[in-house]
Amino acid sequence: MPIKILSVDDSRTIRMIVGKAFRPYEVQLFEATNGEEGLAAAQREAPDLVILDVTMPVMDGVTMLTKLKENAATKAIPVIMLTAESGRDNVLQIAKIGVRDYLVKPFKEEQLIEKAGRIVALQKKAPVTA
Amino acid sequence: MSDAANYQELARKYGFAPKLESASRLTQLVARQDADVDEIARVINKDPALRDRLLRVANPDAENAVEYTVETVEEALMRNGVGCAMVLAMATPLALALVKTFQTMLSLKLELIDRQKAEPLEGEHLLGTIGFSGKVVGGVFLRMNPASARTIAGTILGLKPEEMNDANEIRDVAGELLNIMTGNFKSNLCDAGLDCRLAPPEVRFSTDLVTLNVPGGGMERLAFRSQNLHLFVDVTANPWNAD
Repeated sequence: MPIKILSVDDSRTIRMIVGKAFRPYEVQLFEATNGEEGLAAAQREAPDLVILDVTMPVMDGVTMLTKLKENAATKAIPVIMLTAESGRDNVLQIAKIGVRDYLVKPFKEEQLIEKAGRIVALQKKAPVTA
Repeated sequence: MSDAANYQELARKYGFAPKLESASRLTQLVARQDADVDEIARVINKDPALRDRLLRVANPDAENAVEYTVETVEEALMRNGVGCAMVLAMATPLALALVKTFQTMLSLKLELIDRQKAEPLEGEHLLGTIGFSGKVVGGVFLRMNPASARTIAGTILGLKPEEMNDANEIRDVAGELLNIMTGNFKSNLCDAGLDCRLAPPEVRFSTDLVTLNVPGGGMERLAFRSQNLHLFVDVTANPWNAD
């Protein structure tokens, strides 16, 4: 069964980069463009990992993370923050709510794979034979 | 454990890159408003790149360092004001974030060049703006010609420039570049006690080349080059917003 990963970011660019990073792996990727959509997707799909941005319209990443951790059905889902904001107060607040890891933009796809691989068992797709 | 120690521990755990000491220190000093010129000059003198940029700003008509009439950091601060040093300090993390973004996400070496020697931007170009408000107010303006925008967007998304025909995709990539630059920049300001909020980026094609200075503030104009790509960044800020 593929690993389910939910990418929550208002930037299509970042969602595309995340998708490209996980393409070689047995991963089923879900996308959401803000915290509200992300929360609904997390409840519906029960992903194995959430990759979450901070600054987003409608509902930001900190609010989504808080709500995710308040809900018994979703509180165990591990989260990696993927954001350009690494200011002290932000990082302390987010760590207190509970995240497994934190990746500061700009980032290399390999860094994301390495951090995700520490949380879920990523398996490479079998090569397609003719 | 104090917040600072806690943060250091988390920064190690998450593998954050170290922050540029001179820019952080200078932002903290200027944010205090009562720091003296000698203290600020000491920090700038320890960072050759910052020192060079301040002297270049203080000698706008000079073609090169030999023609400088303002030769020391102290003189430059007296002539241009401490606010000028603040804008330079604020622009430093912004410039570093852009250079790092190119290195990390495009595998391209982006070079900060003398704005006066940069190939001028003409006609329609991509203009991305992001405003910030709070204890410090201002904006960041990113400009590049359409060919550069197409190449950058294609490289980030793993596509050839000729495949980049969707203006929305090009705008989205430019908006994300702005987000990454200003996110790093905002972190530096907030850590110095200058809490501020970022507005969502606005990206459009424009012929408007004028950047207006924020009232009571200063402006830093940067130019970057990487192979045949040219980028221009203007930062305007008032670090002592009374609101």
